[in-house]
Amino acid sequence: MSLQTPRILPSHLHAFHPSSTGPRTSHTVRILGTVTALRGDTATMTCGNHGDVTLILKPDSHLQMGKLVEIIGKVADLDNGSGVGIRVLGSTDWGSPADCDYKIYEHVVNATYKLKPIFYDE
Amino acid sequence: MDGGYNNYSSTYSGGGGGGGFMPGEMNNSPSGGKSDYANQTLRPITIKQALDAVQPYPEAPYQIDSAEISSICFIGQVRNISSQSTNVTYKIDDGTGEIEAKQWIDSMTADSMDTDDAANPKAARGRDGKVELNGYAKVFGKLKSFGNKRFVGAHCVRPVQNLDEVHCHLLEASAVHLFFTRGAPGAGAGAGGGVKGDAAMGGTGDEYGAGAGGVGKNLPPMSPVAKRVYQLLRTEPQSNEGLHAQLIAAKLSLPMPDVARAGDELLTAGVIFSTVDEQTWAILEF
Repeated sequence: MSLQTPRILPSHLHAFHPSSTGPRTSHTVRILGTVTALRGDTATMTCGNHGDVTLILKPDSHLQMGKLVEIIGKVADLDNGSGVGIRVLGSTDWGSPADCDYKIYEHVVNATYKLKPIFYDE
Repeated sequence: MDGGYNNYSSTYSGGGGGGGFMPGEMNNSPSGGKSDYANQTLRPITIKQALDAVQPYPEAPYQIDSAEISSICFIGQVRNISSQSTNVTYKIDDGTGEIEAKQWIDSMTADSMDTDDAANPKAARGRDGKVELNGYAKVFGKLKSFGNKRFVGAHCVRPVQNLDEVHCHLLEASAVHLFFTRGAPGAGAGAGGGVKGDAAMGGTGDEYGAGAGGVGKNLPPMSPVAKRVYQLLRTEPQSNEGLHAQLIAAKLSLPMPDVARAGDELLTAGVIFSTVDEQTWAILEF
């Protein structure tokens, strides 16, 4: 019915890739991380100690270095064939990464997978 | 204290009555009825749970995890704000679904209640503490429906400035869901309550519905007390005559009527049977 955006960590990206087989119809996800590099139309986000994710920006996404951001986006192939990234649809700035405990987010992701029925369809 | 709250809810349904001026609408809302007095709980939920909530019969109170809900709360991003003369409607999206929250504007009582934290001297609630488009907000209210559309009659909508609060809410909703589906922590796997909530969650296994420590493996939905009684019958050393209700009551430090009711529930569900007399039960295994 309404659009669902599962909260994930970088290791789950492949499961939401358009090529992955499964009944999943949506490739839109929600992910939290700190902006660690800005390169014009792409950016790198570091997700706690779960590694980096490449973001494909849209012209009006205004990310700032060093800020904690929550990204809603579609999982997509990167242009240069170097793997999988996220095409940004929307972002929320949460300020300094020090104001948020990334561990809690990890537990939330964990809980949403273990208790799928109250969070997501399928 | 109690009187105060009752006053509040009657004021509220007065406000909600704005919708009630339409003939026939009056009985449509499950709020404010007598049944509300018995169940004055505030349950943290996800929006998906609100959308999945069931009504056992038309106009009955909504149920989530077979427990009746009264007030609910959830946190999500505000996707649309539409201000009308009588109400403000927020479209809230928490990643699990989308629902509208309708807050009635009551000019008589406006600002007289301290629900919006306006007096917070820290003023840390950014940008004058207003709910903003695409910002996060926490909604407190009651689940209602109008025609086929579900919405939340909101008592209070306030901005959320801290991401930890958002995450904490989702974990809280998970914990309460587990409480209603698997019983209180400690009753089942002996995982203990409070701080160990995490361990309890980690211990639930990957398959949803798999029992924690044997409780609820194939159990039909039932009350937490019934689950505790069942768990005790499973684990307590006993003869083939089972355990007497008095003994169960003593072991669980529960009042006898509660144990009797739990026993009835388990007997009806066909998971235990009475042995030497009506009050002595054993697990029905096959």
